[in-house]
Amino acid sequence: MSTAPPVARAYDLLRPKILQRLLELRSTLDPSLGRLEESTARAQIGAVLDHLGNFIATGDLGLHRAFLHTFMAMRAAEAQGPAAVLAMLVAIGDTAAQVSQEENPAPEGSELTLLLTRVTASTARAVNDLIAEELERRMAQWSELSTKERKGLPPA
Amino acid sequence: MVGALDEGAERVAAGVSNQPQQQLQMRIAGDTNVGKVRTTNEDSMIVDHQLRLYVVLDGMGGANAGDLASQTARDAIGMFVQHQRLTMEPKQLLEAAIQYGSAAVFNAAQQARERHGMGTTCVACMIIDAKRAVVAHVGDSRAYLLRHGRLQSLTRDHTIVEELVDRGVLAADEAERHPYKNVLSRNLGARPETRVDVLELEIKPGDRIMLCSDGLYGYASNDGMQYLLGSGDPPETVARDLIDLALRGGGGDNVSVIVIEAPQPAPTSTQVVRTSGATAWWQHRKRFLQIAKDRGITKNAICRGLKPDEALDLVASSLCEAIFHDLEKSTGVNVWTFAQNIAGGWFERGGQWQPLRDLMDILAVSARACVDDIRKTDAKLGFLLDVAVSRALVVAELALGGLLAERLRHVDHDLIQIHGAMQETIDGELDRHDTEAPERTSSKFIDQATIPFMRPDRPVTNPGVSAELVTAIEKTLTIARGRTSPRAELVKQILESLETIATDPSGQFASAVIAARELYGVRTVDDAGVTQLFDALDAARIITASSVHQASVPDAMRAKVLRAVSSAHQRLVGAMTGLVLEAVSPYSMRLEEAKVATGELRDKVARTERKRAELERKFASTVDQSLPWERRGTTEW
Repeated sequence: MSTAPPVARAYDLLRPKILQRLLELRSTLDPSLGRLEESTARAQIGAVLDHLGNFIATGDLGLHRAFLHTFMAMRAAEAQGPAAVLAMLVAIGDTAAQVSQEENPAPEGSELTLLLTRVTASTARAVNDLIAEELERRMAQWSELSTKERKGLPPA
Repeated sequence: MVGALDEGAERVAAGVSNQPQQQLQMRIAGDTNVGKVRTTNEDSMIVDHQLRLYVVLDGMGGANAGDLASQTARDAIGMFVQHQRLTMEPKQLLEAAIQYGSAAVFNAAQQARERHGMGTTCVACMIIDAKRAVVAHVGDSRAYLLRHGRLQSLTRDHTIVEELVDRGVLAADEAERHPYKNVLSRNLGARPETRVDVLELEIKPGDRIMLCSDGLYGYASNDGMQYLLGSGDPPETVARDLIDLALRGGGGDNVSVIVIEAPQPAPTSTQVVRTSGATAWWQHRKRFLQIAKDRGITKNAICRGLKPDEALDLVASSLCEAIFHDLEKSTGVNVWTFAQNIAGGWFERGGQWQPLRDLMDILAVSARACVDDIRKTDAKLGFLLDVAVSRALVVAELALGGLLAERLRHVDHDLIQIHGAMQETIDGELDRHDTEAPERTSSKFIDQATIPFMRPDRPVTNPGVSAELVTAIEKTLTIARGRTSPRAELVKQILESLETIATDPSGQFASAVIAARELYGVRTVDDAGVTQLFDALDAARIITASSVHQASVPDAMRAKVLRAVSSAHQRLVGAMTGLVLEAVSPYSMRLEEAKVATGELRDKVARTERKRAELERKFASTVDQSLPWERRGTTEW
């Protein structure tokens, strides 16, 4: 017996359609995803969708942040800036909500659509928090280096 | 003779349709006019909502026989449908009714010499249900369909000329000029029986069907009819306007029109949000401002220096208006601009993220409270607005994220420049003292955390694992190992690591880093090595997720196991990524060094070029001054 809430089960049922739509749209989501082979793109987008499913099932914001942290690091290693990552995650969330809306047009059956939109909002906020934290860290580094420069000390 | 059937006005008995009874929700109207030339109206019509029967008949024959013919057929058709509708299928029913009408006219014509040769055309439409109709016709009265704004004819005139065209005897352009183009090949009354063309039509939302006599299309252009039918006016207005159009075109014949309008498609969610959604939002603007004020928006650092009313107006009211305009136009541009303006100004003043975050939270809470209010009175609209307003808040976050990322990029750029300048100073000092430069790698900027977002010291959630949870995790991973292919050694290793990380009571990242190093081993950073590793990580995740559901533990514990194992997987992937990036960093350094060397070479080339240019100039001026004209060689002037 599954322990997942009904909305999480609804998401699981919809996941293949969302993935298919995202694969079709991947070039517009992210040029680097567009260049990938379908199987590789499927794996990358699938990982995000899996995580969204976990977040919907558990509601654990800490885990969500941890995932986003890792995801941003991986994308940064591929020379993808945080703004682009944010845009991509929002596009994935939007597409998921859109597919949900199409599949469950009646308002009473579309709790998932609203949830996905709110998850996208949480994701966007969490990403902004991470960028802001990184910015704060860099500002501290900048301040430290500027002081050293003024005093003629070596940087490291 | 005008009739209109408004929403749900009528139900009819079963038999016309085999479908369950249902409301038609169609609007239907008919109108007729004698025209400007004739003295009598020989057209007749049936507009019978109970029978769902709509017919236009155009009679012909001298000494008032035309109107008698059309009226006789009208009465016979109506009566036949009335009596036989429970016994026949709609298509057969309509065809038989018209045949019956033809026989009735023929019989009437036989009763008096002056009626000989009388007859009538007929075009009829019977609505089966909201999605289907039957159209039948004899003669040159027509049925048209307007769909998606385009008018198309549903019938072909039964004229001698048309039939010659069909047989290939006449070309279409010749038919237009043919003297017998109006001579009918079929009508009701010429013989006891006639051939009836019948078609079943699928009705789509918003369709308009028009039945008319030749007094309309003979005096009105197709474009004019299309324009009026597509005007969106109610059918009774359209019928009247069509007749006016024919009259303005000469009105040389009797003119009759019936307009049948299928229900308009239900408005889309977007349309609802753009109209009633935007209005409802705007009606709640005072409530929005009040909540924002109560939540302390005027005390936010961003609003410092502004009077409370000014702060409310500049911040809360602006967002409220921006959301309203975006709802109206289905865009995000106003909210985007609002967020950019407010955040751009704040960052320019050296502001931090936290106050901006707090401000956005207040605005979001205020917006959601308004949406909740709307939801209480109209659940459907409230839901749609909830999605739309949440989307607007995502747009605001996107705009803020863009600005934050831009700032991060600038700071990174400054950091690299400062570091480079400092390093150059130190290198210069060392060169001047003629000492060997220190090991460059130890002082490279890349040794700082140059890859954003990689912080292995980051704390993780939920430290502490109960004994029950440990047992449940072990059970789950034992099942997972059992389901793993014997050849998938790497996946098995990962499952072992996941167990270690998930059951680590400290909940720290260290266990994940150690496990990642063990897995990474002596792996080289080639495509196959890393891909294989990440594929195995993915496979382990999938196996673990499905094994959770097979473990014989209570439901609540199962959720905890899922969370713990997911978290462990997350940590392992993070640590693994760190290792990969660490392995890549020397290559990045080499790339940077190559870039520096290339830059130096480029400078050298530029300097040499400059020297060469100077020498050429010098040489040219020397030649100019010292040599006679004829000996200035190849120098170009």
